[in-house]
Amino acid sequence: MRRMTLLVLAALAVCGPLGASPTLAADKLRVVTSITDLKALTEAVGGDLVEVDSLARSTQNAHDLEARPSLMIKVRRADAIVLNGLDLDDWADVVAQGANNPNVIVGAPGRIDASRGLLVLEVPRSRIDRSMGDVHPAGNPHYTLDPGLAAQVTQNILEGLARLAPQNRAAFERNRQQFLARLEEAMGRWNKLLEPYKGAPVVVNHNMWLYFLTRFGLVQAGSIEERPGIPPTPSHLVKLVNQMKQERIKVIVVEPWGDLKTVQRVAQEAGAQAAVLASSVGALKGTDSYINWVDSNVKMLAQALK
Amino acid sequence: MRLLIAVALVAGLLVPAIPVLAQDTEEIRRDMEQMRKQFEAMQDQYRKAMETMADRLQRLESQGQQTATTPVAAPPVTAQLPPQTQPPGGTPPSPLDLIRPRQPFALYERRGSGQLLFDMGVAGDFVGNLTQSNVEKNQGGSFSGLENLFFPREVEVSFFGQIDPYARAEVRIETGQSSRNGELNIGLGEGHLTLLTLPFGTQLKMGRLRNRFGLLNELHSHDRPFIDDPNVLVQFFGAAQLRENGFEATWVPALPFYLQVLGGVFNGENEVAFGRNTLRHPHATGRIRTFFDLGDFGAIQLGSSIANGDTPEQKSSTIIGFDMKYKYTPTGWQRALFTAYGEYLVSLRDVLVTDSDGIDQTRHRNRQGFYVGADVRPFAHGELSKWLLGFRYDWTQYPVNPGQEWAAGPFIAYYPSEFLRFRLGYKHTERTNCCSYLNFADNGGSARRVDEIFLQATFILGAHPTHPF
Repeated sequence: MRRMTLLVLAALAVCGPLGASPTLAADKLRVVTSITDLKALTEAVGGDLVEVDSLARSTQNAHDLEARPSLMIKVRRADAIVLNGLDLDDWADVVAQGANNPNVIVGAPGRIDASRGLLVLEVPRSRIDRSMGDVHPAGNPHYTLDPGLAAQVTQNILEGLARLAPQNRAAFERNRQQFLARLEEAMGRWNKLLEPYKGAPVVVNHNMWLYFLTRFGLVQAGSIEERPGIPPTPSHLVKLVNQMKQERIKVIVVEPWGDLKTVQRVAQEAGAQAAVLASSVGALKGTDSYINWVDSNVKMLAQALK
Repeated sequence: MRLLIAVALVAGLLVPAIPVLAQDTEEIRRDMEQMRKQFEAMQDQYRKAMETMADRLQRLESQGQQTATTPVAAPPVTAQLPPQTQPPGGTPPSPLDLIRPRQPFALYERRGSGQLLFDMGVAGDFVGNLTQSNVEKNQGGSFSGLENLFFPREVEVSFFGQIDPYARAEVRIETGQSSRNGELNIGLGEGHLTLLTLPFGTQLKMGRLRNRFGLLNELHSHDRPFIDDPNVLVQFFGAAQLRENGFEATWVPALPFYLQVLGGVFNGENEVAFGRNTLRHPHATGRIRTFFDLGDFGAIQLGSSIANGDTPEQKSSTIIGFDMKYKYTPTGWQRALFTAYGEYLVSLRDVLVTDSDGIDQTRHRNRQGFYVGADVRPFAHGELSKWLLGFRYDWTQYPVNPGQEWAAGPFIAYYPSEFLRFRLGYKHTERTNCCSYLNFADNGGSARRVDEIFLQATFILGAHPTHPF
């Protein structure tokens, strides 16, 4: 018995450092984000004081990611996790639990909700249930597509990072202000590009473009997906084509992981064109940073609306 | 001379005062600098607050415009609540409202912001099967005792959520039909808490839980990739599988690759494999699991498990398992195109045998069994993406008695959505050395060759934890 106890204690002593909870890095915070948009924004705030990785790849549909052990390894040594919230990345909870990292579980200081204090669109005001498809009870979660909300989102990220590394708060704030200054300058360019199309109706494939369209004064007139997450019925597509013809809707916005075949068919029948926009940072070539990402989407949309 | 002394005296008084004066000036300068910084910070804060308010105002104005023009899915007519269950314009419910029967979603509807609630979900799993009448007589089908019936296999209500910053809990109340007379047993399927903030990358789960042995044991019926359970698992662990009261600890070391080490201690209630049912001679389990992301070529999980305990006859029983799961998901696909599963089990067991002289003797039994299965979901989008084709092959020896069986069968699944699934399958089973000692009913039937058609319908209401890999 004594020998067994000594063996167990020796094993713990040897393995302890291997399993030791990750401590704050002397110089860099290890941060994991659920999606690449938040990775880009966290890098903008953290600069060279953070090391950031994203759980979802830019080409993936973040709604329903598989909680793979390879994601848990990314989270295992993280000091913080930045989440989109609003039910978009609930799978990140399973990843965080499987990572056995107490820094990032619910309620831990390293858990950063980027959606705090945001004015969320499409918060259901009446009863909802799954007959409406894969609805989001907390509202439309795709706010990262709206550059106008970047100020609040980066503020949330800054507060989270500063909670873990208060000595770097001033540096985070400097980085954030520099990023917002560049963003403001870019907003001027983007507003000018899309100004001629203010009020123009646009159809989307999946209801994830609302914030982006609203920011630039465009109107989401319909969607290919009659109900989120449910393939559209033929009758819905016929109605949509008729609506597009009647209202002269010229563009269908679709994300890279969307059903391009169906979108192109509808576009062809309605006399419109399909515009593939990057659904997240890095989803298409030339969208490797937040500003480049929005820039690319604005330019492509403006081109399609011409 | 006097003048010199006077000058010296004055100098002597003044010189110490110079640093004091300098100190005062420096302090005043620092105070002023601090006040300047505070003023600048306040200015900055006000500016940010005004920017945020302007932003919100713009959003509100745009939302007002958008709400007028953007079609929002209207709730279906059937989902409308009767008047008495509608929240009356923000006033709290009266006691009469609380006791009045209401629609299932009323609880969620009343949940506003700032209310503490956990997640709730309901899963329903219904199975139907058709087989030969002699198999029904013998109760030798895959759903023993329920042949040629359609029945609720498992309907469960789950509650799960965070207890506090340190722990999480999960409770599942289950019911299902287990015998021909239609009797429904209701009980605690699982009820456990998990401590999440233990040191050294460990977690501890305790309560009533499905042991994390192998690939399938911890999954509930509605989550499993097949309609019925693989023969080797049923033979080695029984129809109920390993579900025990006890403790399970996991450790995930901070390595460049994923490795999970698990150890568990349980009462040993499972009567098929163990059954001693005492912590003085506990049922112990262990598992190691690793995972490799192969990039464009998919991902593979490998695991090895061990379970050891005593039987009621105080004989040792050990089961060792090796499992594999491979998935290939092309870039841009929501679901895996191809998935393959497999488990190989070895049972090392001491049994009490009475010889011809009536003397009890201990005999050692080494038995093995395995299953392999795969499924394909060949379309990424559209109506065809809802279909899946699968196949499974089983082979197993019986853990105590001589003989073996093999089975094979295809199945097809249809997913109208991720919350609803239908499966249709066929299974052919052949057994050797059958059957009276295999706990089949000895009533003139035979279960040596079994052909079964299965139908399964599964739904999920409300919240459901994300499936792991």
